[in-house]
Amino acid sequence: MARSASRTARIRRRQLVERRLPMTASITMHYELALLHNYLIVGAMLFCIGLVGFISRRNMIVMFLSAEMMLQGVALSLVAFSRVHNDFGGQILVVFVIAVAACEAAVALALVQVLFSRRKSLDIALWHQLREEGLPPFPAQPLPEQTPEKPQWPRLPPAGVQPAPPSELTDYRPDV
Amino acid sequence: MIDPRHLYILATVLAALGMWRLLPRADAGGRLGGAALVAVALGLFAAGLPGLSNWIADCVFYVLAAVTIVAAICTVTFRNPVYCAIWFGLSLLGTAGLLLLVGAQFLAIATVVVYAGAILVTFLFVLMLAQPEGRASYDRVSFESLLAAVASIAILGLLTVAIAGVFQRSGESTAFPAPPQSAELHQKVLHPLHTAQLGAELFGRWLIAVEVAGVLLLVALVGAAVIVLHARSGRQSSGPQHPQSGGPQQW
Repeated sequence: MARSASRTARIRRRQLVERRLPMTASITMHYELALLHNYLIVGAMLFCIGLVGFISRRNMIVMFLSAEMMLQGVALSLVAFSRVHNDFGGQILVVFVIAVAACEAAVALALVQVLFSRRKSLDIALWHQLREEGLPPFPAQPLPEQTPEKPQWPRLPPAGVQPAPPSELTDYRPDV
Repeated sequence: MIDPRHLYILATVLAALGMWRLLPRADAGGRLGGAALVAVALGLFAAGLPGLSNWIADCVFYVLAAVTIVAAICTVTFRNPVYCAIWFGLSLLGTAGLLLLVGAQFLAIATVVVYAGAILVTFLFVLMLAQPEGRASYDRVSFESLLAAVASIAILGLLTVAIAGVFQRSGESTAFPAPPQSAELHQKVLHPLHTAQLGAELFGRWLIAVEVAGVLLLVALVGAAVIVLHARSGRQSSGPQHPQSGGPQQW
């Protein structure tokens, strides 16, 4: 009796789970269409995360990494479209995207190297005023404050003997 | 049944706030809260996605997508640019896995070889050459983090809602093309000799484009060399050795 009662409880629990499942996987569609939908969403997310980085970061190299990430998002979408149309065009476009990204990385890193050797800094904000001769200066926004970084000391457990104070402290006699 | 567009809108708002808290800012607090917000937003996005055919395909896709997206977020938000580059490499590996899952074997390998093998190493090389001692102030404070996060994630919201809307309408109308059958796919895109088919297409129909891409690579190579050499010679000619020289050397 007890066993059959537990079985009915298990069956009821499974029915509950099955009734809850369509909430999480909210739509059911054809496999290829679902794959296309998911890849488009992931591609859009990669693109927009790269956009956040490209707009807001100030390190030139991180900006270029973000731009490459945007290209990756587009590549994902292209490959998904290639599958759903059963055509190699999207994948071939991605091959060319990779080639162009390699060219872009080569030229961009040469430029970064030159700019770094001019100012000894990778900060893109130092080049706000880059313009042709004779043009009025761009009314740049003030840079964010340069705050000194808070040092983070390692937290060590107290153990062992206390180290001796440095010699310039022990040898210092103010009355002499 | 929940409309996935509502989930996406909610996730967009949460993701914008979370990205703002995660980006490097002057007041370096609230990063844990930002990470939690972004995690909830990613969960909402995942809840809105339609399920694939079986749970194994679902699991593989969700794991690869989560690795890709989380590594991408870490790339954008980490303070140390070396860590950014390494997270970007992980994101590329996740992307390569996603490409493999959708059947693009050659592109997956090319992504790993070209991006993670060559471009990323070049980035790291320049980073090691140009990185100052310690963490620079421009890595700790970013431009307009709130505006950047809100604007970019708003674009994400528009894109996802538009995509979901298109797929919801595709059930009623015939605007969307019929999905290909498995047999057709195995004739072409998922052919067992996938790379051979891709190469035949690339060097057949797109041969001129391949030649143009080769020229582009050559031009980029020469251009990169000229940029560095020109800067070096320009610095020498403007130095004290050549006070009479009229301008930078002509190339």
